[in-house]
Amino acid sequence: MSRAFAIAANTFRETIRDRILLVILVFALAMIVASLWLASISLGQGARLMQDFGLVAVSGFGVIVAVFVSAGLVRKEIDKRTVFIIFSKPVGRGEFIAGKFLGLSATMAIVIFGMTVFLFLLVWAVAREPSGWLLLAGGFIYLQVLVVMAVTIFFSTFASPILAAVLGLCVFAAGQLSHNVLSLTQLGDSAALQGLSWVVFLVVPNFSAVSLAPVVVGEQVADWSTIGGWGGYLVAYAVIMLGLSWLVFRRKEF
Amino acid sequence: MRARGDGGKRERGSSVGAGRRGVLRGVVVGLVMLGCLAGVVGFQITRPAQSGADPAAFVPSPKFFRELSPSFRTAVADAYWLAMVQYYGEHVEGDREFDALPAYVRLVTDLSPRFERAYLFGAFALLDAGEGQEAYELLVRGARRNPQSWRIPATLGMLIYIYAGNEDKDALAAEWYQKAAAVPGSPDYLPRVAAELLTKGGEAEESILMWGQVYATGDTYARDKALVELDELLPPDPEQRKEALQPLAALMTPQQFLTLSSILMGVLETP
Repeated sequence: MSRAFAIAANTFRETIRDRILLVILVFALAMIVASLWLASISLGQGARLMQDFGLVAVSGFGVIVAVFVSAGLVRKEIDKRTVFIIFSKPVGRGEFIAGKFLGLSATMAIVIFGMTVFLFLLVWAVAREPSGWLLLAGGFIYLQVLVVMAVTIFFSTFASPILAAVLGLCVFAAGQLSHNVLSLTQLGDSAALQGLSWVVFLVVPNFSAVSLAPVVVGEQVADWSTIGGWGGYLVAYAVIMLGLSWLVFRRKEF
Repeated sequence: MRARGDGGKRERGSSVGAGRRGVLRGVVVGLVMLGCLAGVVGFQITRPAQSGADPAAFVPSPKFFRELSPSFRTAVADAYWLAMVQYYGEHVEGDREFDALPAYVRLVTDLSPRFERAYLFGAFALLDAGEGQEAYELLVRGARRNPQSWRIPATLGMLIYIYAGNEDKDALAAEWYQKAAAVPGSPDYLPRVAAELLTKGGEAEESILMWGQVYATGDTYARDKALVELDELLPPDPEQRKEALQPLAALMTPQQFLTLSSILMGVLETP
């Protein structure tokens, strides 16, 4: 396990060196400009709009960065041939995948929580009424990003980085529409279609089960048991995808 | 030697010619670029005049967004809230055609059923658009979806009292005021307004009270509207006006009352 942490620490340093944290700066600038603009045109609804749009931006920035970095994470080691050096030492394929994932997870934690905390402080500074739920919403965006990362790493074990990134983004979009697939399982008389819909519903990660943005703006009341269950589901999904990545990666010859 | 000299001349000549051709090519490319730039900029700057303010803006069905993006539903509602405010602002100053306004209000409030401000602003905007029934239905829908809000039933009571034409409007308005008063945390004056409506005093006094309530609790837009209405309702004589304003002191903060009376007494200009 210490070997996985060593790979994680190295991946963390590598991604930080790639100036990923600049995304926080871009987000901050975009949100400052947006908040000034929104405050002037929203008829007193600046705080609500900033929180809503801010969470969409945190999610968007987070997913894009996570997908494009994780798509090249494994391939870069193969292309630079450093993978031969790593596997000449007593490092398992599973430890390599887990280390890569943990390293990028640490970087993404800084990115997502950096953006969320900045958003919280900005809403507090501009409108004096930030919702504490905003921070929890950031936490759940992070969990979704972890799932997208795990899915993208899985695709990157057998596809090119570009294809893995595109597939990762497609899975994120499909996950947002998961409830539609669920409604397909209840429509029509065809058992085959219903069965297929169930398979798709189970395979595609469910990103639309819970949305904390409505809780942040007072639109819904939080249901702790559903939120907790969803959090556990997302973690379990990420673990399954990492396991599948390991299964594919262990068959590769180096 | 001669031949070499001629060759040198030819080389110099051809390099000068190539240089000229390069300059000429650069000038032509530059002119083409400038022409294209003028075309692009010219096309874009003439668009506002060409498009005008289209009263029939396209507003999708709420069902479309409910199926498309549940995670971003409130963000979509917020984006359309901005579009609705913009749409209203454009047309209220211009052609006063509000064809798409009911669709905007429905979309925003269906995607975000607890967006209190959307109901309140939407109701006033729909009244401006001559859609009284739509405004009434919107506020009834809002009161049903937001049992924790006292502003929506109070505004509904006020609008029924001022704009409804039916004979039992006082009783109906009082009923909504009573509902508003029953909400925990509602202001103390609501039961009084309801009681006054039920006992029915002078209409002007009640209207002044109600517009005072709008001024006390509304946003910038509602406050501006309340100021215009109050200015019309209040007697022009300064002494009588001052006296008629006094009951409003109980409806708002001292600072609000000071600002309101200063504007209506002509001390301050309307913001």
